[in-house]
Amino acid sequence: MKSTISTPAAMHHARTVGKTHAGSALLVAITALVFVLLYGPLLVPISSSFFTVSHGSVDWSQPTASAYVALTQNDSVLAALRTTLIVGLSAVILSVAIATGLALYGCSPEAKGQRFLQFVIFLPFLMPPIITGLALLIFFREINFERSILTVIIGHTVFVLALVYRTILVRLQSLSGSLVEASYDLGASRWQTFRLVLLPNLAGAMAGGAILAFALSFDETMITLLVTGTDSTLPVRLWAMMRLGFTPDINALVTLILLFTTVLCLLAVRFVAPVKAASGGNE
Amino acid sequence: MSARDVIVGRSRAAALFATVAAYCVPLGFILAPLALFLTYSFFSVDHGNIVFSPTIANYVRFFTDPVFQPIFWRTCLLCLSVAVLCVLFAYPVALFLTGLKGRWRHVVLVLLLVPLLMSYVIKIYAVRSILGGNGLLNRTLLALGIIHEPSMLFVFNLNAVLLTLTVLLIPFAILPIFLSLETIPKALRHASADLGASDLQTFLRVVLPLSLPGVASAMSFVFVLAIGDFLTPQMVGGQSGFTFGRIIYSQFGTAFNWPFGAALSVILAATVICAIALGSLAERRRTAR
Repeated sequence: MKSTISTPAAMHHARTVGKTHAGSALLVAITALVFVLLYGPLLVPISSSFFTVSHGSVDWSQPTASAYVALTQNDSVLAALRTTLIVGLSAVILSVAIATGLALYGCSPEAKGQRFLQFVIFLPFLMPPIITGLALLIFFREINFERSILTVIIGHTVFVLALVYRTILVRLQSLSGSLVEASYDLGASRWQTFRLVLLPNLAGAMAGGAILAFALSFDETMITLLVTGTDSTLPVRLWAMMRLGFTPDINALVTLILLFTTVLCLLAVRFVAPVKAASGGNE
Repeated sequence: MSARDVIVGRSRAAALFATVAAYCVPLGFILAPLALFLTYSFFSVDHGNIVFSPTIANYVRFFTDPVFQPIFWRTCLLCLSVAVLCVLFAYPVALFLTGLKGRWRHVVLVLLLVPLLMSYVIKIYAVRSILGGNGLLNRTLLALGIIHEPSMLFVFNLNAVLLTLTVLLIPFAILPIFLSLETIPKALRHASADLGASDLQTFLRVVLPLSLPGVASAMSFVFVLAIGDFLTPQMVGGQSGFTFGRIIYSQFGTAFNWPFGAALSVILAATVICAIALGSLAERRRTAR
């Protein structure tokens, strides 16, 4: 392809392409190294989950699924899984509902102090989770609100709200105003306009936000650790287990969670990516 | 005209109601707890009971006590090192990514971002299983004959925290650098090449300077995430890897001094705000240019 070009500039360009080989080889090497750093460590617990561990080292001679079977009988893990799902779903429902309301309010002409409101919504996302968690811990204590699964749900909702809000707001702002005008012109009420015009258009963003929120909630550890009562979510349970050491049941649990989050992540990419791909694709 | 006219022709009372409803969650569950937290930092503790009279003793203690400031600065230095290391890894990856086209670019980008949504605790655990005294790294080094007994250089200390945080936070550094590289017009690079610059010269004198705002925001991003982290130092730091986050946490646990912990958190928050401000300052200088 390069042999057919004839302008001096293009020829010069063709010459420099040869020199980039060393440079691009370096880039490929470092990228490969980063992939090893990102994914390599995960292979250790995944692969050793299929073997038994004795005296702190893995016995590679016989693959077994016993760790997975043991998990199905581990009550504390199952309880943690149930708590995680309850908390996740509640946080998703609450955060999507609140975020939609806030986004609609933000786009309405009567919105007051919109910048301030946004700033407050984003605080738990900007501040380290330890600060959000400790602030909520003190807050719940001051208002005599017993720590329970409810406080965890509130903590998670506050934490994921910013991202859901942002996702929905961006979509809402991209919608054409004529859609809404047309709806009113055709005699629809405000509620009808919301339900029949806005909601279908926002559904994708809401779904994307919901998946993101669930993924964040599923992984949230720090805030949960601080505001939970006796219930522990999966990451908190794992955290407690991991302090004891490296065992097959942790590895099996880790493997299952990784599998689940990867699926969740790919789903999130499907829902959120159209926006990203469109903006990243055109050079 | 935009979708913002959804809510038109509404009565005053309804508008007021909407405002109150919109503000109740952010104010009640975000601002109120944080404000209370700030207030707590001006209280004190006496025999395990919190004394609710204002004092700046907690802040005075932080600035005068010989224990806390060194840990604070050491943690800042640690997180700065993490930020520098992350950028050193992330920059070439971002550069590589900008050179990719179409489907491949999308696939590689997604693969680099997938670890972001993976469980944080699990990632720490996985890295720890490599760094441990009997971990993969030590055993590999032993098997290769590079060392003759397990090295303790990266086992349950600050080095382990540094390495773990770097591995965990690299993806956060890739994104801002990639985005800033993306905004550099191709024409600039072509112009540079046409004027006789070598690829290295073009990179050093055109691409690199223009991408520095991205580097700055990547660094502030990583720094903020690293300094606020408690889980990593707790899991891989051992006895010697004490960081500021662990000090704060201990005030709410064993030390049971909530007001002092709150004061330390305020200092942490101030540090985070400074880092974010520095990062966005660099970003803004670019747009001003």
